[in-house]
Formats: sequence, C-alpha cells, structure tokens
Amino acid sequence: MDTMTYTTQSLWTWWIAMYLFFGGLGAATLSISFLTDMYCRPHPKLVMWGALSGVVMLGISSAVLFGHLLHHTAVIHVLNPLVLVFQPHAWIAWGTQFILWMMVWGTIYAFPYMRVTPLFVNMPLVGKILQTKIVVWLSDTCMKYRRVVGWFATINGIGTAVYTGLLLQSFPAVALWHNPGVPLLFTVSAFSTAFAYLLVIMNTFIRDETDQDLRHRFELFDVILIATELVILFSFFNFTLSGSESGYRSAQLLWHDMGWLVGFIGFGLLVPFLLELKGVIRGWSGRFPSVAAGVLVLMGGYMLRHYFMYAGVYAYPW
Amino acid sequence: MTHYAMVIDLNTCVGCNACMAACAMENQTPVWKNKWRTYVPEKEIGSNEMVSRRFFPHLCNHCDNPPCLTVCPTGATYKRPDGIVMINPELCMGCRACAMACPYDARYEVTYGDIREGKEFYGELQRTSPSMDKCSFCAHRVDKGMKPACVQTCVGSARLFGDLDNSSDPVAQIVMSGAAQPLMAHFGTRPNVYYIEDMKRKG
Repeated sequence: MDTMTYTTQSLWTWWIAMYLFFGGLGAATLSISFLTDMYCRPHPKLVMWGALSGVVMLGISSAVLFGHLLHHTAVIHVLNPLVLVFQPHAWIAWGTQFILWMMVWGTIYAFPYMRVTPLFVNMPLVGKILQTKIVVWLSDTCMKYRRVVGWFATINGIGTAVYTGLLLQSFPAVALWHNPGVPLLFTVSAFSTAFAYLLVIMNTFIRDETDQDLRHRFELFDVILIATELVILFSFFNFTLSGSESGYRSAQLLWHDMGWLVGFIGFGLLVPFLLELKGVIRGWSGRFPSVAAGVLVLMGGYMLRHYFMYAGVYAYPW
Repeated sequence: MTHYAMVIDLNTCVGCNACMAACAMENQTPVWKNKWRTYVPEKEIGSNEMVSRRFFPHLCNHCDNPPCLTVCPTGATYKRPDGIVMINPELCMGCRACAMACPYDARYEVTYGDIREGKEFYGELQRTSPSMDKCSFCAHRVDKGMKPACVQTCVGSARLFGDLDNSSDPVAQIVMSGAAQPLMAHFGTRPNVYYIEDMKRKG
C-alpha cells in the first residue's frame, strides 16, 4: 500500500524553459562568436550577428523571468553585484550577474566593428550613440585590450550556460534535476544550439564563400556536441530507471511521451545529427540541409528544457 | 540556546482542520485560492473492512539545512538563531526558487491580486508587498511566550511545540526517545518537525 503522493509542479513551467533556453543559447552564441573572432580569424559580421542577437536573446530570457516575478521592484537586490558577497550560495544571484555582465562585455566587444559598419553608423539613434565620447573611448579601449574584453564576455557566457543547469540541480527533492548530469547536459545543449544558430545565420544572412572552412568546423563541433548530448541522455535514462521513485516516475513521463521521443530525441537530435554528419563527411550541394538541421537543433534545445521542467516529480509522504 | 521544533502525532489528529483555520486567521493566508501555511490532506488507505482515513498535517519544517534558504537570491529567506526560518516580504522578488527547492511543499505565492483580495477578506491586511509565503511557527506569538496558533487550537493535542535544547521539554523528550521522526531526512535538510507514526497501530 502506497501512502506517498507523487506530483509534478506547476510553478516553473514554459516560461522558465524559455528563460533557460534563451539564456543558454544567447550566452553560448556570444562566447562562440568572440572566440572565433579572437582565435580563428577576425570576423566582424559574425561578431555583430553573434553579439547583437546574443544580447537580444539574453534580454528575452531576462524579460520572461522578470515578467513572472511576484514583486518586480525587489529585483533591484539581485541586480546589485554585492549580492554575490551576501548570497554566494544562490545560483540565481550568480546567473543574474553572469547575464548582466555578459550583455555589457558583449556589447563593448562589438563596438569597434559597429562603429565602422555603415548600417549602424547611418541608423538614426544608434549612429549618434556610436559617436558619443564614452562609446568612442570604450571602443578604442576594447581595440587595445581585445582579448581581455573577449575573455570577460566568454567567461560570463560559459558561466551563464553552466548556471542554467546548476539552477535545477539545486532542488534536492527531484531526482531528475538534483544530479551532476544536469549542468553538463544544459551546457552541452547550450553550445550545440549556439553552433546551430550561427550555422543558420551563416547560411542565410552572412553567406560569405570564404566562411566555408568555418561552417565546416562549426558543423563538426555541433555533431560532436549532439553525440555527447545523446550519451548524457542515455546515462540519464539509466540513472532514472532505478534508485528513487521520483526518478523512475520522471523516466516514465519522459520515455512514454511521443513529444520527447519523436519530437526531441528524433527530430531535435538524431535527424540533425545525421544531416550534419553527412555535411561534415561529404558535404551538401545546397544550404537547405544545413539550415534545416540548425532549426531542428534549436527546436530540440527548447524541447529539452520544456520537458525537463514538466517531468520533475516530487514525492510527498501524505 | 533555544532550538524550536514541533511534534505531530498522526494517531491523534482527527482532521478537524481547526489548525488550518486558526493559522489562516492569525497569519492572513490567501484561503480564497486554497493556500495555507499548514494543510491537513486526507487519504483513504486500504480497502474493504481494512480501510482507514489518514490525516497528515504538514507545514514548513524549519530545516537546519534549508534548501529554500540556499537558493534564495535576495536573502529574503533567513534563519533566526532559535531555528525559525523566516521570509522578509520586502526583500522577496518572488522568483519561486524556494518553492521549487522545498521537499515539503511548504511555500505558496502571494500576488498583488491576493493583497487586494486580502484587504477585502480580512479587513486590514498586515502585508503590503507580494512575496512567497510559508509558516513562521507564528514567530510573533512565540516571541511573546505564546504557542503557535495551530498548536494552541489543536483539539486532540496532536501538535506539540517546544525547545529541543531544553531536555525537560516534552518535545525534546519525545524526539530524543526516537518515537517521533522527521520527514524525508535523507535529503539532508535536517527538519525540525517530527511525526509520530500511525501506520504501525493501524496496520
């Protein structure tokens, strides 16, 4: 006879999945763009696309969370960097600071390129802002200490991606979340979706023939990351099958759901893995398969977080 | 040093819900949406002539290692030296991470809408800002030497409140005897609400 009650939660739903997805994707997009610019070859278009869309994604992520807060003005306490001194054990405090500083360093890193790009220079308000003394000074300083600024942004980006997993890991009652695999899974997924996103951008908007080697390299990295994600998910499957009733019930929820099996594992991971693997080994004559793979990976990235939020099971002894 | 704890005897709880009513009036909880600081779910156990009804009061466990406190980004959740875990509504931004971290389902939301509704329902409302909310062991009463409202009102004396650091306190003696056990101690939360099991007697 079972006196326990097993239930999923209804507090953190689709909106936190959006927060985690856009947070991880935005941060990893910025990091990859800057690392490419610093260590592969200078790539103004990639940096501007990466920085601006990354900042927008982080903005969406933060706005979704902010919109769902109960007491909006109290958010000021977590925006203060000193929060890390007073609440060093709270991952949301770290995540907020990572996201905030990622946006700051990400924007500064893009300034030198934006200041010489006609599109931004001729934009009504943006053009004026780019000519202000403070932006000119920031831009010149950034050129002087390019890698320092780039690494500040990258460290905050990696921190954000890892944080999205650490946040869920800090909830001890749910076996699916409270394990060391979650930060790893979410970090791998964040960088995989970011590579996929940049591949979509490079195949649709940037379309530079000299980027062939870069696209090939990004596709290779994405294949490796998707394969890693599949291995981590397989270990999650094994982990949840025994050990705790909470984990077992999460496994039942996930692995009996066609959205998870076909939607996420099938179309979000396996299909893009095969498409990108073919692209890496033999290449494609057109750009469509690469773009399709990227879109599928992005869809899968959201689905992973969505299903993870809904499949966490609490066990109550009443 | 004082270390407050509660013992709940599942054998004597009759499910009258007087504790819920007393707590709601004392702490002005949003009862209109069925949210309580303490709640007494009931469950039918067994079948045919072996069936019995079980009442299981639950509330914040005022853990010594509270996961709700460690995840709180603003410091709104804090622990008093006497062991009571509190929330400062002014500091709480309502991210709900504490509710996600709590293994005892002890926390609920108080929204702007609840504050409006609360003013109509209770006449005068003590709180001014929305936040997460939970049992405070009626700290304002305890500070005056009184018992928590739920303990005071319990008709079957199913709830006992006392000081674990005082060896002559009945609560400390019951806990030390091993007759009362905490819930889900394997999470490492070190809870301070103890339960006297009823299933052995019924089973």
